[in-house]
Amino acid sequence: MPIAVAMPKLGMTMEEGMVVEWRTAIGDPVTAGEVVVVIETDKAANDLEAPASGVLRHVYVAVDETVPCGTLLAAITAEADEEFDADAFLAAYAPPVGFESRPPDAGAAAPSVARPQVAAAEAARLARGAVPVTPAARALARRLGIGTSGISGSGPGGRVVRADVAAWAERRARLRPVAEGVALDVPTEGAGDPVVLLPGFGSDVSVFAQQTAALTARHRVLGVNPRGVAGSDAPADAGYGVDQAARDVAALIDAPAHVVGASLGAAVAIELALTAPDKVRSLTLVTPFVEADARLHAVCESWARLAGEVPSTSLASVLMPWMFSPDVLADDHVRRRIQRGLAATLARVPAATLERTLAGLAAWSGTRAGDLGRIAAPTLVVVAGGDLLTRDSASVASAIPGARRVDIAGAGHAVTIEAPGAVSDAIASHVALVEKGSHR
Amino acid sequence: MARVLSYAMAINEALHIAMAADPDVIVLGEDVAGGGGREDQGIVDAWGGPMGATRGLITAFGAGRVRDTPISEMGFLGAGVGAAATGLRPVVELMFIDFLGVALDPLLNQASKLRYMFGGKARVPLTVRTNVGGGNRAAAQHSQALYAMTTAIPGLKTVFPSTPADAKGLLLASIRDDDPVVFCEGKSLMFLEGEVPEGDYEVPLGKAAIRREGSDVTLVGIGRTVHTALAAAAALAEDGVQATVIDLRSLYPRDDEAILSSLAKTGRLVVVDEAPPHCGIASDVAALCVDRGFDLLDAPVKLVTAPHTPVPFSPVLEDAYLPTPERVVAAVREQVGL
Repeated sequence: MPIAVAMPKLGMTMEEGMVVEWRTAIGDPVTAGEVVVVIETDKAANDLEAPASGVLRHVYVAVDETVPCGTLLAAITAEADEEFDADAFLAAYAPPVGFESRPPDAGAAAPSVARPQVAAAEAARLARGAVPVTPAARALARRLGIGTSGISGSGPGGRVVRADVAAWAERRARLRPVAEGVALDVPTEGAGDPVVLLPGFGSDVSVFAQQTAALTARHRVLGVNPRGVAGSDAPADAGYGVDQAARDVAALIDAPAHVVGASLGAAVAIELALTAPDKVRSLTLVTPFVEADARLHAVCESWARLAGEVPSTSLASVLMPWMFSPDVLADDHVRRRIQRGLAATLARVPAATLERTLAGLAAWSGTRAGDLGRIAAPTLVVVAGGDLLTRDSASVASAIPGARRVDIAGAGHAVTIEAPGAVSDAIASHVALVEKGSHR
Repeated sequence: MARVLSYAMAINEALHIAMAADPDVIVLGEDVAGGGGREDQGIVDAWGGPMGATRGLITAFGAGRVRDTPISEMGFLGAGVGAAATGLRPVVELMFIDFLGVALDPLLNQASKLRYMFGGKARVPLTVRTNVGGGNRAAAQHSQALYAMTTAIPGLKTVFPSTPADAKGLLLASIRDDDPVVFCEGKSLMFLEGEVPEGDYEVPLGKAAIRREGSDVTLVGIGRTVHTALAAAAALAEDGVQATVIDLRSLYPRDDEAILSSLAKTGRLVVVDEAPPHCGIASDVAALCVDRGFDLLDAPVKLVTAPHTPVPFSPVLEDAYLPTPERVVAAVREQVGL
């Protein structure tokens, strides 16, 4: 019986992956656990290991092809001469449970054409305020009693089609209420003691894709998309301050959680540790700040301004030098991959959210510098050696009593993406130490 | 039991059945008898019209019921209307629909109006069989798909079968309908073969047929273009796009529910019509979708039609003129963003 090698789903946001390299040739023996193929998502390149030992008999997906999660990539048979019919195996192949990217009741539009399209969503975002919504999509939204304003379109030209509304509604049904009339999009997976992930300015939980994958084996991981980000509600007026963000997170936490925040997410984590210490079992602050310097202000300001004026691909190219080290920028392949992922993330955060969040950041900056000594939760600070934006990360570490510090040499500000493994390891070992009670 | 017949022979069979079943059914037209009036010379049933559709009728039913007419469409269509109004059930052959211009009044002002103007006391059970469409290198005056003109006249019914089985069943239903029916025969479909049930059966007027089911897009075809749509659907399936193909069959009365209920499932619709784009069946179906199906539309309705030009004689140009599966596929790709 042949064994299937399938495109894995490596994170909550992963819908598809690209084959980068086949490490094993057809007809060659493989050992279980040996890397047979390298795949690439928006976020990173990943090695995919052979699920069983045997011989690689057939490859279904060529290099540079992008396929949905669950797609059959290759077949392995125990013996080289075992009877094997590649077409019949493909015909009989069914993706593992959980790979359906479409909710079962999402209407009649077939999954075959409902591919997420970054470029299309992009065009829609550019045509801000005039995103085309098909009559069928409008009718479905009306029937479901929801608005269409936050829905990103997958149709041609970024048009919002019926399937987008259905998917959005399905997602909204999972939103978690955090305040009167406000619910957040909190992708949650895994089981165990809770870990809460708080992304930084202008980004969503996809920046933690690698860390999420690493933590779900032992933890229930809650990625919190803040107000106005991705599928979360975007109330029009107030509520984008760091203090409110901390209250939103507190409302999501029922048992003390390991709280992980990056950049502005770390500011929220600090605020949470100070105002709701009983909710915080441990604290991991990735490239944190308490005092935004003029450069951080300036970068966030131009970010917010450009988001309303240029495509997210252009915005991503402008932000790359601020967020990543020269090592990333120097490697064409890596830079392009990261920039693609960054652009997709940026597309999920509208300019209005950036402006509101920036005001919240500015108001918070400098207000907590004297309070760090009061943080009681066991704390880890991840400092990126090449960070241009939060230069006071190291001083945050020294101001928090007993805080451990991990330095990632050379990495830029977006260290969860640039050095995903190192950050995952740092979080996992910090969390493990705290759970064993041996922190400090 | 079904056997394989050509579209033309299915029409021929329907005429035999209708004439055998009802002595009021008569056949009129140019060359339908192939030399009527020359029986004394032994010339009977020479060819049965340009497509052979009336072959054998004169020998089976006699020259009294199968009559060759002079080349005067105005005359024999008028005679047909009169015969119908006074008790017969005539089947008149207008050799090519392109000749409608010289014979319009009997249809436009007589056949279509009598029942209405006589308060239902008159009826006109007339069937006008006529060749439509291109693909036969017959040039600008013998290749037009003018069915939108007759469809636009209240009081007339217009049908266009796409298969031999429907050609037989729709013709029998048309002949037995008490109102005037324009029965379009696809010039390029005449030698198309398909399974045809034996015996007497009718395909009801006003009912479309679903030729293929798929959830992504609805393709509506008319006569010849049903086959264009089916070829496009097969090509689209290779890209993972599943198309429903609706064979309209009856242009008036039209099966609006079939169109709208399919649109409700797919959200996308492409009409494929070999007629030019203006004031045509395609734009009319699009209008239906925008009017009654607005909330069902998940993409713009696309029309794949001939251009607004006469039908070219040059084979190269005629091939470019007629809708192709490739153009249908391109329209669908535009709708789904592939």
